[in-house]
Amino acid sequence: MFKTENNMTENLNDLELLALYKDPATKERGFTAIIKKYQEKLYWHIRRMVITHEDADDVLQNMFIKVWKALENFREESQLYTWLYRIATNESLTFLSQQKKRNSISLSDDENGLSNKLKSDTNFDANKLEWKLQLAIQSLPEKQRLVFNLRYYDEMPYEEMSHVLETSEGALKASYHHAAKKIENYILNN
Amino acid sequence: MEKQTEITDELKDVSPTLASMEKVNVFQIPEDYFSDFDAKILTTIFLQDKKNNFQKVPEGYFNSLSDNILSKIKSENSETPSEEIKAISPALHYLKEEKVFDVPENYFDNLSDRILKKIKPPKTKVISFSSRKWWRYAAAAVVTGVVAISSLQIFNHNSNPVTTDKAIMQLASQYKTPAQIDKGIASLNDEEIVNYLEKNGTILDEETISKNVDTTALPSEDDYLLDENTLNNYLNEINAEANQKTQ
Repeated sequence: MFKTENNMTENLNDLELLALYKDPATKERGFTAIIKKYQEKLYWHIRRMVITHEDADDVLQNMFIKVWKALENFREESQLYTWLYRIATNESLTFLSQQKKRNSISLSDDENGLSNKLKSDTNFDANKLEWKLQLAIQSLPEKQRLVFNLRYYDEMPYEEMSHVLETSEGALKASYHHAAKKIENYILNN
Repeated sequence: MEKQTEITDELKDVSPTLASMEKVNVFQIPEDYFSDFDAKILTTIFLQDKKNNFQKVPEGYFNSLSDNILSKIKSENSETPSEEIKAISPALHYLKEEKVFDVPENYFDNLSDRILKKIKPPKTKVISFSSRKWWRYAAAAVVTGVVAISSLQIFNHNSNPVTTDKAIMQLASQYKTPAQIDKGIASLNDEEIVNYLEKNGTILDEETISKNVDTTALPSEDDYLLDENTLNNYLNEINAEANQKTQ
């Protein structure tokens, strides 16, 4: 569905990409390659949290702008991949909490703005299971929603997820089981 | 019996006393002790046999035990996400492939270019702006104040507080850009400005302003640095909210 550009940096591993970034002569090339390598994964992670493309685009661009500065201090003992996921997660949560604040200022009663965003998607169809699933996911508490998305869609091992969300593997596993059961109930009863 | 007699005689020779005593068995045994004695013996022999077998361990068992346990733990952990969800909820497993969200075509193709463009150029142009951001609010407030008070004093003598607020809000919405503020200031005569500042001079005190401005809802500094429209959007938002509240 999406084209990827054929270039020299395509097959480099994270350490090689970071080395490119750290050399002033190839800094931009390294950074571009890091974006290209992770943009789709991170985009979908963010999109599932903030729902609309416009919001996901904002959050994704902002996060990479922060990454540009923060990469200077990136310590290589942590994994680039989980580090980026952690930033994307934090940025998404910050974005959502800012939105909640704005909603309360404008005296809106709509507490679950994300469900409404789903419903206003041009493809939304309340009779279709896949949309019911999305509504069910939005009915979860924020943290559980993150765990569910990371496991269900990103298929992230619990060990890596524990670095992204700074939670123990056992707690994550329990949280995922809980979330999946809740979602199943929601779909069956709605 | 001859044998019996022989034994009795023998005892009589050794100890006449003992020979004259009746032979009584002083020991008791459980009732029916012997009735299932053979079965008991056979069971014991059978169990003994089994026990020996139980105690036998396959050769090398303990050498490989730790490895076996570890590999079992690993295989439990390496349950793939799709196996896992299939076990929890088969419905969710099959739903997963359904795509719901659209992405604009070619969105990912030039994303990195757009991000780099935002990172690279105009930093120097914007720095002074962000450090003076409160000035813009202050300037807008002062101009609105002057215009509102002087014009309302002339045209709106009998207005009640609600319509006055509304009128001020409407006036305020005209002064969003520096150009509009400049134009507003230019339209005032000196006397009006002096009168206003005499009455409301303290508003120019920076501390007072920063105390009275709720900065929590302001767009973040990062947003300013990247996009000047952010502030305009923010001002539009406040105006819309303010209008909503007064309606």
